[in-house]
Amino acid sequence: MHKLSHKKRIAIFLLIGVAIYFVSGAVDELRVYQGASLAVYVVGISSIILLTGYSGQVSLGQGALLGVGGYAAALLRIHYNAPIWLCFSTAIIVAAIAGALLGLAAARLSGPYLAGTTLALAVGLPSIANQFGFLGGEQGLLFDVGFPPLSLGKDFTQYKWFFWIASLATLLAIFWLQNVMRSRYGRSWKAVRGNDVAAELAGINLTRNKTLAFTLSAGLAGLSGALLAMTIGTVSPSAFPLSLSFSLLTGAVLSGVTTLGGVMIGAVILVAIPDLAGAVASRFGSSEAVTNNLPGLLVSALLILTVLFVPNGPVEQFRAYREHRVKK
Amino acid sequence: MKRRALISATAVLAVAALTAATVPAQAAEVGVSSTSITLGMTLPMTGTASPGYNKIPGAMKAYFDYLNANGGVNGRSINLKVEDDQYVPTQAVAKTNKLILQDKVMALISPLGTANNKAVAASVNPARRGVPVLFVNTGFSGFADTKKYPTTYAILPSYVMEAKIMAEYIKDNFAGKTLGLVYQDDDFGTDALKGFTQAGVTFAAKVPYASGSQSSTTAAGWVSKLSAAKCDVVILFGVSSATAAGLGTAAALKYAPQWILGSVGGDATTIKAAGVPAGVLYNAVGASFAPATTDMTDDYIKLFSDIYAKAVPGSAFDNNVLIGMNTAFVTAQALKAAGTNPTRASLMAAIESKGSTFASAGLLPLNYSKTSHVGYNGYWFGKYSPTGDLKPVDGKYVLYTTDSGSGAVVKSTYKRPAMPAKGLPE
Repeated sequence: MHKLSHKKRIAIFLLIGVAIYFVSGAVDELRVYQGASLAVYVVGISSIILLTGYSGQVSLGQGALLGVGGYAAALLRIHYNAPIWLCFSTAIIVAAIAGALLGLAAARLSGPYLAGTTLALAVGLPSIANQFGFLGGEQGLLFDVGFPPLSLGKDFTQYKWFFWIASLATLLAIFWLQNVMRSRYGRSWKAVRGNDVAAELAGINLTRNKTLAFTLSAGLAGLSGALLAMTIGTVSPSAFPLSLSFSLLTGAVLSGVTTLGGVMIGAVILVAIPDLAGAVASRFGSSEAVTNNLPGLLVSALLILTVLFVPNGPVEQFRAYREHRVKK
Repeated sequence: MKRRALISATAVLAVAALTAATVPAQAAEVGVSSTSITLGMTLPMTGTASPGYNKIPGAMKAYFDYLNANGGVNGRSINLKVEDDQYVPTQAVAKTNKLILQDKVMALISPLGTANNKAVAASVNPARRGVPVLFVNTGFSGFADTKKYPTTYAILPSYVMEAKIMAEYIKDNFAGKTLGLVYQDDDFGTDALKGFTQAGVTFAAKVPYASGSQSSTTAAGWVSKLSAAKCDVVILFGVSSATAAGLGTAAALKYAPQWILGSVGGDATTIKAAGVPAGVLYNAVGASFAPATTDMTDDYIKLFSDIYAKAVPGSAFDNNVLIGMNTAFVTAQALKAAGTNPTRASLMAAIESKGSTFASAGLLPLNYSKTSHVGYNGYWFGKYSPTGDLKPVDGKYVLYTTDSGSGAVVKSTYKRPAMPAKGLPE
């Protein structure tokens, strides 16, 4: 497979950054907000792609790790008024530590047992916030990243500021993740995913590899959680429900779980579906029950179609198709 | 020369065009056209938190459709846009953004849930945008704070008020009995605990449960604790599914104390829909600020239930429906009071200057003023009938009022004004 050189990749990321800058100036406030949400999903979905697609482990509890990151960032901001970059970095580290602990357990589990354990985490962890006063209970805590700098002009909206922060964080995260994937660790994970016995025979330490994958994936999830907390201004148990974990997993499957290239597809679908469903429902004058259940129906239908026809995701499928044609 | 004239003319035209573009047209308020007013709401329409609440938009629309058919508000019809937030703050923020930025609603109405409203206040910041948030559907007392939430108006009595008044009722009716309490282990429950503690009530057993953990299995644990402490009177201060789990499991285990149900979890239709037989509810004590939904001698209940039966045939007229229709009715009066060309600012000014005189189905006064965004401030207590309907004892509403602070609980002498003709805003 043809791979881009390091310099070319940096150039592409810079170009994407410039494009985002111009897009942020051209679209309205609602689209800018949706752009920030898109960034949250991109990071969240890539954390699953790293874990499931590259290291072959399943997590149904990624939402809980987003919660860990969100709460860490909010607590640091509230109690120490820490700068935003430090809040995000701490979110990554704290979630990564949580992921490492989980990874140690996960390395001993596989298949349905691992799925069950992570599912329990997704169900149980958010409600811990109700047990400790400093976590703010059901109402949660505020996470205020502050107004955009005045130098950006007084018409610069809060959501545009969120979008810039989220986009920058996402670009850095994806660039870093691509590098990790190309490193020794990335190759080891792929080996483990392919055949763990063969990988172990080749000298790869399975436990260490699996734990590392969990740790890094959790760090990304933590960043996604902190970004999510920024866009909604708060953290609360109900912001990290079980359905969030499932949404991220759905996004990863729609994107193609084995490749980072399609990560935008899943994120765009998750953000755009409610809008799309609303437009379809109003076009055809559907009843309330149809309007309310249409987004869930559309996502489920897409998920089934993806699994049936493009199980490795559209990007991987396209790549395979092209390679097949070239060989011919 | 000709060329110069052409250039000058072009320049003059260009300047004129630019000036015209920069002078804003005398536009009406956002969400207000010459024929309609658009309002928006978010609430759980799907998901585990939706049962019961998902009837509210239908109830509000039923009233607005009735109002529109009778001329609307100053000739404008009311258009309600409803968005499903699945009781998730992220969705509440996304959908509220859509309502304000894309659908251009004039005001938000009856958004549901404490965490959701807090997230919307922090992220969307309706206060900074000058968007009124009318009559939030939560009993969290904090939303009446005019400094923190200057454009938000509460309508339900707060959980603290309810607990304080319930304590008074217990002192009057169950003095000397052994008391038990089941409460949700979050702000909803802790607000209630605050009220009970303030009133000096002591419990032989206090059983917290985590939100979402309520089931017949966990309820069996509550029952064993309550019966071990020999509680004669048990307060269930949780959501409907917790009330249903508690009542159903206790009945199965043949534990039958005197039940007192909090208003949030006391909706009989939702409890019965969860499989609890009406007979189990019989004689339990419940609280409400509006008339009993079966009280057809009440003008509002009669009119609202007639309107609802026509609009949504086959759907039971319950407390959620009543609250929805009443909120729509109060909103219509606020819009009427906001003048012939209502703006967001005039709407809020109208609530603050005239809100305390608005007619409503509530048996207690609305407490709006320039310095107060508190809605109703009290309750009456009644008992559930053999068919599971909450009714005042001896047919008489005994009303208590208080505040969310340290104020005393007093019996209310408030006389509700007569319903305006045909239930339309005057």
